[in-house]
Amino acid sequence: MSITRRKLLASSLLAAAFNPLGKTLAAGADVAHSSAPWHNWSGYLQSNPAQRFAPKSEQELADFMKGNAGGVRPVGAGHSFSPLVPTNDALVVLDNLSGVVAYDDASTTAVLRAGTRLSDSGPMLDQIGQAMINLPDIDRQTIGGAIATSTHGTGLGLGSLSAYVTSVRLVTPEGRVIDANRNDNPEIYQAARTNLGALGVLTEVGFQNRKPFKLKSMAWVEKTNTVIESFAERCLEYEHYEFMPFLHADFSLVIAHKETDGALKPPVPEEDQGDIFGVLSNLPVFARRPVINFLVEAIEPSEAVEASYLALTNIRNDRFNEMEYSVAVEDGLACVREILDTVTKLGIDALIPLEYRVIEKDDSWLSMFSGSAKASISIHRMAGYDYKPYFDVIEPIFWKYGGRPHWGKVHSLGYDELSNLYPHLDDFIEVQTELDPSGKMLNQHIAKILNRNV
Amino acid sequence: MLKKSLKVFAKQAASLLALTSAGVSLRRLLLVTAMTSLSVFTLTGCETKELQGVLLTQPSASETAQAQHKWVRSCALCHVNGEGGAPKVGDAAAWQPRLEQGGDVLLAHTLQGLNRMPPLGYCMDCSESDFRILIDFMSRGAQ
Repeated sequence: MSITRRKLLASSLLAAAFNPLGKTLAAGADVAHSSAPWHNWSGYLQSNPAQRFAPKSEQELADFMKGNAGGVRPVGAGHSFSPLVPTNDALVVLDNLSGVVAYDDASTTAVLRAGTRLSDSGPMLDQIGQAMINLPDIDRQTIGGAIATSTHGTGLGLGSLSAYVTSVRLVTPEGRVIDANRNDNPEIYQAARTNLGALGVLTEVGFQNRKPFKLKSMAWVEKTNTVIESFAERCLEYEHYEFMPFLHADFSLVIAHKETDGALKPPVPEEDQGDIFGVLSNLPVFARRPVINFLVEAIEPSEAVEASYLALTNIRNDRFNEMEYSVAVEDGLACVREILDTVTKLGIDALIPLEYRVIEKDDSWLSMFSGSAKASISIHRMAGYDYKPYFDVIEPIFWKYGGRPHWGKVHSLGYDELSNLYPHLDDFIEVQTELDPSGKMLNQHIAKILNRNV
Repeated sequence: MLKKSLKVFAKQAASLLALTSAGVSLRRLLLVTAMTSLSVFTLTGCETKELQGVLLTQPSASETAQAQHKWVRSCALCHVNGEGGAPKVGDAAAWQPRLEQGGDVLLAHTLQGLNRMPPLGYCMDCSESDFRILIDFMSRGAQ
């Protein structure tokens, strides 16, 4: 297990400040009772868990699950915008279960504990000569949380994190520990690769990785029409390619990564860009286009060369709520155009660009990419602002294109609609019901998805 | 209040542009800013509040040990390097204006989130008591 520079610094600061006498202090039990509500990352979701349990070992977790008759919801980094986590019963926090459990050089696979944050997994894997094949752009998520919702990055031929899961180990709602892979418990394996946190609590996840690699990161602003017209060609040119069309504007921000053997070139530190969007938000929507065009055209292209795990992930400091649907790749560009036109036509007062990515198919039952490659399109509204008027207008456009909602992002669908979009939903429900007959792992949102009673 | 919220909104929205590590021409920004500067400008009162302690009671060794463990895996994600403008651990100057708001306000901001600080600061199993210990530590860590 590796220690990142941040953790090393953190540990040395702690040694001096918390523990000036240099004594080793044993950590106490980790069952916290708090009167403060739990909130997700954006602050939109909240609940009042009766207890928050952070096991320090798998055995502690198994004992807890066995002895706990009430409801249980596991939480990672709280980055889901859909109410997968909220519970007034027990919240299980996996932060103590972190690190590399085992790895194999020959097959380039590694098993990580489910509470490992993506930001920590990069250096950990690098130390054992491995790297994840692709990564999402937010680095604070935990492995367990990311797998639960088929979290993804972008790139032609590159799948979501769930696509590269080779094995899982989970503690069932009744406290049993189960290992699953393609050969052993194959149905649990397929269900667990995108599990909504509904099968129990994942403790370990095995990944197919690759040897460490470097990426040249490039970002530039370009006319949206040009980006759309050249999209297929560019996806072949860059291993990881996405664009973010600005609303009420004619331009997109393009982000591309290409593998390289070139020398490392750290990114230029960001400048304080001032209150650009504060200024824009004071302008009437109909007057924004020329101003936004004028501003974004001035964004200078940037380049950097970094290890893949640094290039692909970011710290997403600023909080928002998000809706994302995945549509057939051949429909994606028409769908994004329709959304842009609708935002303009209706004068929707939103400023954050859309995000457009492509993801390879996988065979995980509940992945948004199960069975076919997809284009994912995201819309965002800043935290603290009511996203419903905007999202409610755009969601039917996604439906029109047969879109599948991202499990961790805002959507309004229940079992009836989802069972038409996810052919294996009933298979998942069968496994879930078998593992959790009493419905310990259900909250209202998950019960609505799975057509079960809480 | 609305204008203050808009400014917060603006800073947050701008972060998506920050993914590029690119800068917007200052001249262009100033031009546009000048167009609407009157409407954006807000007056804020300047009030000095009495310094309040964050800790309600002296933590036990066990409570301190728990908080120590939690700090490394949560607060340290941002407060070591100052991600997103987070006050760095031990940076007395950065913490001073926050401490002046009082321990209860700091705790409330931690629980509910504020600007770029997510609610609970990535510590999902921290109690209020843990947060008070952690805030106290970070605000005096360099001593």
